[in-house]
Amino acid sequence: MLDLLRQMSEIISASGKEKCLRDFIIERIKPHAEYEVDPLGNLLVFKKGKNRAKNKVMLAAHIDEVGIIVCFAEKSGFLRFATVGGIDPKVLLGREIVFENGVKGVTGLAPVHLLKEDEKNKAPEISDLYIDIGANSDTEALNAVPLGTTGTFAQKLEEFGDGLVAGRALDDRIGAAIMLDLIRSETEYDLTLAFTVQEEVGARGAAAAAFSIAPDYAIVLEATTAADIIDVPEHKQVCKLKNGAAVSFMDNSTVYPMELYELALKVAEDNGIKAQPKAAVAGGNDSGSIHKSGKGVRTITLSVPCRYIHSQNCVSAVSDIYETRALAEKLGYTFANA
Amino acid sequence: MEIKDILEKLTSANGVSGDEGEAARTAADILSAYMPVKIEKSGNVVGFLKGEGPIIMLEAHLDQIGLVVTNIDKSGFIRFTKCGGADIRVLPAANVTVIGKDKKEIDGIVISTPPHLSKDEDRKKFKSLDELAIDVGLSCEEASKIISPGDRVVYKKSFGSLMNGRLYGTSFDDRAGVASVLRAVDLIKDKKLGCSLCVLFATLEETTGGGAAVGAFSEQPDESISVDVSFADSPGVPEHKTGKLGGGVMIGIAPTLDSEISNKLIEIARAKNIKYQTEVMGGHTSTNADKISVSGKGVKTGLLSVPLRNMHSAVEVLEIDDIEAVAQLMAEYVL
Repeated sequence: MLDLLRQMSEIISASGKEKCLRDFIIERIKPHAEYEVDPLGNLLVFKKGKNRAKNKVMLAAHIDEVGIIVCFAEKSGFLRFATVGGIDPKVLLGREIVFENGVKGVTGLAPVHLLKEDEKNKAPEISDLYIDIGANSDTEALNAVPLGTTGTFAQKLEEFGDGLVAGRALDDRIGAAIMLDLIRSETEYDLTLAFTVQEEVGARGAAAAAFSIAPDYAIVLEATTAADIIDVPEHKQVCKLKNGAAVSFMDNSTVYPMELYELALKVAEDNGIKAQPKAAVAGGNDSGSIHKSGKGVRTITLSVPCRYIHSQNCVSAVSDIYETRALAEKLGYTFANA
Repeated sequence: MEIKDILEKLTSANGVSGDEGEAARTAADILSAYMPVKIEKSGNVVGFLKGEGPIIMLEAHLDQIGLVVTNIDKSGFIRFTKCGGADIRVLPAANVTVIGKDKKEIDGIVISTPPHLSKDEDRKKFKSLDELAIDVGLSCEEASKIISPGDRVVYKKSFGSLMNGRLYGTSFDDRAGVASVLRAVDLIKDKKLGCSLCVLFATLEETTGGGAAVGAFSEQPDESISVDVSFADSPGVPEHKTGKLGGGVMIGIAPTLDSEISNKLIEIARAKNIKYQTEVMGGHTSTNADKISVSGKGVKTGLLSVPLRNMHSAVEVLEIDDIEAVAQLMAEYVL
């Protein structure tokens, strides 16, 4: 599964431009399941298990990531851009950028030596930022990187510290890797799995996917903020690395059914799987669209804790990825058989 | 050796101010193909080639900016401060490398605060240095085995190509200067010099300037030319404070520099058709030239600069042809 995660992390897949990653996944599920690609680009997969499911269970993970999109070229050849999804401008200065067509650039900044005292710690606006690809003119720049080209941090997945991984877009390659691994294994019950597009720009793909599949239950697999870092008080840490799957009771887009939240924690406990509450009301994900879809879907989110999310260095624990996979599978079967 | 290859080799070595050993050995190794070389107690690399006439010194600094470990917190996170003028604006979520025990390289990530924990006023500014820390993904116990206070930290190395012969990477300040001196030495090999040539790759420029001060005092050159990087054009930077990337060697003119040397450099550039631009400064140059010129009984000193974007970040940008122009001008000066 880690190999799949590593390979998927090297593919650029900004919202709306998920084709490469989708094709990568299709190549690897073909022998194991049926699938279709819907008009928005969601990849819907039907995995036949050993037993028929009483209830239709959908697992969902998004295959887009936050990134940047080129909007304008200065006469001097510098590119201006907007963010695709939420990136804090404070993690964008002085970064290697790679565009979807392979062109490389860097985000520039005025030398600190020439700044006035009050500018030295002032956060930039995205509109202040620019990318230098080495071009001498707007024409040269746009020939290499046409308007609308997307890009992201040029950062590969690496092993980090003690049992951790660090890299770009663990949100939500982790969810996609778990689903891909499930599809390639033998499952107890029939499952439907949606690899969704455009989560980072408003959980848009998931709305269509949930409508088409019309499941009884949905399990959204995500990466979520872990703030278990120095100087953050315990009550603001949300969840911690190496403490297992984070189960949500509420976030900014979904109020989860309490019985599902409690059931998820119980299934974890019964099966010796590490899990923890996501102890904050923060963020949002595909659940926001899925739970309100059609006549309603009973929805829960399981997340892998992730430090520095939406930066070039998301950090997660390998053990949490496996715990989350285990809980997703067991909980899926529990829903299938409920 | 191509300039790009020299630069890649030089920037692959670590050399934060005060811990320049690896960078020194790398530079000395390349230089020793051209002249006898020694690494001094100060850490400086000195090469000397006897010729006829005055002693002319070519100088560039070995060290790079970085961070230095001050404390390992009980949570395992590493506290640090600056070692030289690192720019805090590039630190959140940045990849760094801690040079730990026995010079082992340990991957680290500077912490960044998730938005849900930021108050509105916090979003408008960067965290201050004492609020930052490095995540090495280890417990305090594990981290303490391989990391100690005083260990230096560098931006994780990068080295890549952009369009038009431009490169991006770490520590171009001032390995680009070292590369240009090495290229100049290559251009004059087997040629008869009109001087004795001294090469000084100095330590500690980014912090105290101590390397250049003791190096110049020891060698007592008659003239010296320093090579450093200077600001190149980019959005949001006043045009009158920058040179042009690809505009050729920047020839320094300043009260602290010898005006005859500055003029001679301009004359040579014109005569030999070397692409150049002038850089006028009102006082100090903020380079080793300031230290060398007042060393011992005083040294007539000139300054050449390689235009550089994003100085003191992990993605400094330069153009190879500018390094070539610096090298050609120095070579012509000493011939």
